[in-house]
Amino acid sequence: MSLIDSVMAGLALVGNWEAFLSLAIGVVIGVVGGAIPGISATMAVALALPFTFPMAPINGILLLLGVYKGGIFGGSIPAILIKTPGTPASSATILDGHPMAERGEAGRALGMALWASCTADFVSNLALIFFAGFLASFALSFGPPEFFALILFSLTIIAGVSGESLLRGALSALLGLLLATIGLDLVYGTNRFTFGDPNLMGGLNFIAVLIGLFAIPEVINMVWHPTGHMGKVQKLGSKWVTFVEYKRCFRSIIRGSFIGVFLGSIPGIGAAPAAFLSYSEARRKSPNKANFGKGEIEGVAASEAGNNGVAGATLIPLLALGVPGDVITAIIIGAFMVHGLQPGPMMFIMNVDIIYGLFIGLILSSGILFVVGGLAIRGFRPVADIPKRILMPMVLVLCIYGVFAVNNNIFDVGVMFVMGGVGFAMGRYHIPPAPFLIAFILGPLLEDNFRQSMLMSGGSPDILLRGPITWVFWALTVLAIVTIARGTLNAAREGN
Amino acid sequence: MQVQLGIGAIVAALFLILYAIPNWVSSPSNVRNIVLSPLFWPYILAGLTAFVGVGLMFSARGAHSEDGPVNPPIEDPGKGALRLVAMAALMVVTFLVMPWLGMVWTSMLAFVALAFLVKTRHPVAAVICAVVVPLVLYAFFAHVASVAIPQGELVRLP
Amino acid sequence: MKLRHLGAVCAMGLGLGALPALAEYPERPINMVIPYGAGGATDISARTIAEPLGNAVGGTLVMSNITGAGGATGSVAVQNAKPDGYTMLFARVGSHSVNPAMKATLPYTLDDYRFVTVYEINPVACAVRPDSGIESMEDLVSLTESEGTSYSSSGVGSMLHLAAVFVLDEFGVTEPLEKATHIPQKGGGAAATAVLNGTATFLCTNTSALASFVANGQLKPLMVTTDEPVPGFDAPSASSLGKPDLTQLVGWTGIAGPDDLPDDVAAKWGAWIAEAAGNEKFVEQMTARGSVIEVMSPEEANEFIETQYNTFRALVDKLGMRIEG
Repeated sequence: MSLIDSVMAGLALVGNWEAFLSLAIGVVIGVVGGAIPGISATMAVALALPFTFPMAPINGILLLLGVYKGGIFGGSIPAILIKTPGTPASSATILDGHPMAERGEAGRALGMALWASCTADFVSNLALIFFAGFLASFALSFGPPEFFALILFSLTIIAGVSGESLLRGALSALLGLLLATIGLDLVYGTNRFTFGDPNLMGGLNFIAVLIGLFAIPEVINMVWHPTGHMGKVQKLGSKWVTFVEYKRCFRSIIRGSFIGVFLGSIPGIGAAPAAFLSYSEARRKSPNKANFGKGEIEGVAASEAGNNGVAGATLIPLLALGVPGDVITAIIIGAFMVHGLQPGPMMFIMNVDIIYGLFIGLILSSGILFVVGGLAIRGFRPVADIPKRILMPMVLVLCIYGVFAVNNNIFDVGVMFVMGGVGFAMGRYHIPPAPFLIAFILGPLLEDNFRQSMLMSGGSPDILLRGPITWVFWALTVLAIVTIARGTLNAAREGN
Repeated sequence: MQVQLGIGAIVAALFLILYAIPNWVSSPSNVRNIVLSPLFWPYILAGLTAFVGVGLMFSARGAHSEDGPVNPPIEDPGKGALRLVAMAALMVVTFLVMPWLGMVWTSMLAFVALAFLVKTRHPVAAVICAVVVPLVLYAFFAHVASVAIPQGELVRLP
Repeated sequence: MKLRHLGAVCAMGLGLGALPALAEYPERPINMVIPYGAGGATDISARTIAEPLGNAVGGTLVMSNITGAGGATGSVAVQNAKPDGYTMLFARVGSHSVNPAMKATLPYTLDDYRFVTVYEINPVACAVRPDSGIESMEDLVSLTESEGTSYSSSGVGSMLHLAAVFVLDEFGVTEPLEKATHIPQKGGGAAATAVLNGTATFLCTNTSALASFVANGQLKPLMVTTDEPVPGFDAPSASSLGKPDLTQLVGWTGIAGPDDLPDDVAAKWGAWIAEAAGNEKFVEQMTARGSVIEVMSPEEANEFIETQYNTFRALVDKLGMRIEG
């Protein structure tokens, strides 16, 4: 079958209002779900899954993909408005989005988040369509040693989000790494800091830590200083994002999209690190470097481009190899199987109409996201007008429900409270929370991949340099460390 | 502040190395290779923490004391501290009471307590929200998202 | 806006008063705990049976994923729940026969649960990469004996972990723990990927998890742990290879409550599950994923799990695999 035939077959499958409607419903569910802290994109997809069973396969899968994409964007709404990331992927958006909201420019930040998300989504979908085969073959050459080198390099992005002091950033990261060791050991299954509690054996819940670290300290700050927000208007603001600003941020958006595509096509990394990497790259390249973290619109654009760039690309290993890139695609694979479809190379031969139908649907989804996202921003406008001393108790209650709902476990609410205290103390000592979070995500991956490599080689460290991919990432790591060290020394010299 | 942090990091690292890791991390006796031991990574992290602590103290000595970041002062630090203690108590009580009283009722009480702790200017609105928000959230999570929100022993919602 | 909320509040208050004082079980939604994450074998099985089961029960079933520690976190939540039949568990081979056999520090034992049924069985298959040069179990065993091999699993104490050791032991490999390296991964998907990208030599897991890789020719099955060959798997069965003991090595999903679950509740569940598992669409969906639907009565289920546990426990003790720390 030629390409044209394939495209036509795909069009025949999705060229009807049912397909379009399922995609739109999916995006709406995703945006709303993502906008509610505690309902992550993962959860929204899982909740929607059973409803897709009775639908035609292509419509059901399109609905789930819509939920996924909508959820990743939706998470940025509460991240900007109330400093609570709706999904882990939007944690990087807080760094500049929330300061903008505090300045009364939430509308501008949300608008840029939407534009960046849609652009990155589109780039990511194109990447999926054109490079699926190529990138998929690349993805499979990532074994533990390659992952180890990649994650080591990713950890250098901590320097980019450390703020004013690299040492305090490092301390924050170490705290995250230490807390991530709680739970069962990967290789031997023995207990680490669990005190015999079955709730701790599973490790600290990521969402509980995340919300505890970012949202609860806001509540505690309000308790410490109830009138501190007076005079700071927190409104959506009349200012909307302009095309000139979009053009100014376009380079960062495209760079972020490609970072997202690259990290997304490798199974097991996910959207949050992509957002942080994209953010720190944008900061490094920007002429307004000093303004990052204080409400720089380019920071919002870069983070949102990074996390939405992942959304299409995680489908590359899924469709080309049948390998899920993250939890969400693992659920989506379940949907394929329920409909008797088996993702993998054979699907490009056996079900080419479905593959092309999905491609066409995905391209449409970027447009739908743009419309639905625009409406959602206006719909969530009242949140910005609630008096802050009523909003904060609301945030507290919302966090309690949300954190519980993630894993149906009251223990996680306790974890969230404790992390809130930790976050407040860190704030008092000006220790930035972002490095903590990145380290908490990447720490276990780093350790696991290191130990898996050691198991493979029987303890010989040579395996860590086994191929060109590892060499590239080791070189990048060294380069990043040298750059950071030089920057720090220069800053110290200027300071004196 | 830098010095306090540095000392804190060193003390924490020493505690980890000397007490916490040997006692609270268990390792099987038949580990073939030191780098594969469950203890290896925690020890590395503890060592790095000590290193950063030393770095913080060293850099603090070189810098002028007024260089460091400062927290904005508040008018009533004494009462502020009391409020923080009250907040801590609120969180502990919320966590302990929730399985028994149910999430909805506990959140209502927590909402009211917090709103009055921060001396809200809209007490009536706060009470109305305190009742409505947990109920709406309950309706959404329990009936739309199908989450088994803990109901408690006393009064159950449909 | 506020008025409408108030209305909603009043309506809820009325609903409260309208609850019947004495009603037959179940008078309110039943919380069904799934101790594994979304998208896994247990989750899909549970969510597929949810609809027919809900119809049979005639009430609402609320599916709750409580993940962590290889199924232990969710299992403990049910162990500590009130035995009123309103908190039930989707138990799985990993959480309720491999874990208790392997982990000394596990906070629960089989005696803490009352099984009302086992409704689904998944055979296990061992697979390698087609370009690995391994054509049969014989090749795999001789390679393990000469050079050593490695296998992936979804974690320490998972069924995949025990399955690989069990198979090697049955095929006469002495000291399988020394000759084959266990490379644990996080989750079943990662375990399959590890074999695909050459990190590990082979894995033994449920046929449902392998079906798509086998159909696409990405993995080559060497054996299935059944009496009869499994459709879609071009590999000999354990019985035809002369290892009938391996047919003990199967995955299963069942439903359990806390151990002092009342008899009438258990009896009701027995009837419900028999009705739900007869649902044609359910059977069709599960069979398409490589499962065998086989409803066991509470007694049969208990005996089945007990036997499997003892088999596993004997192997674990023989090889010194028990995790003490």
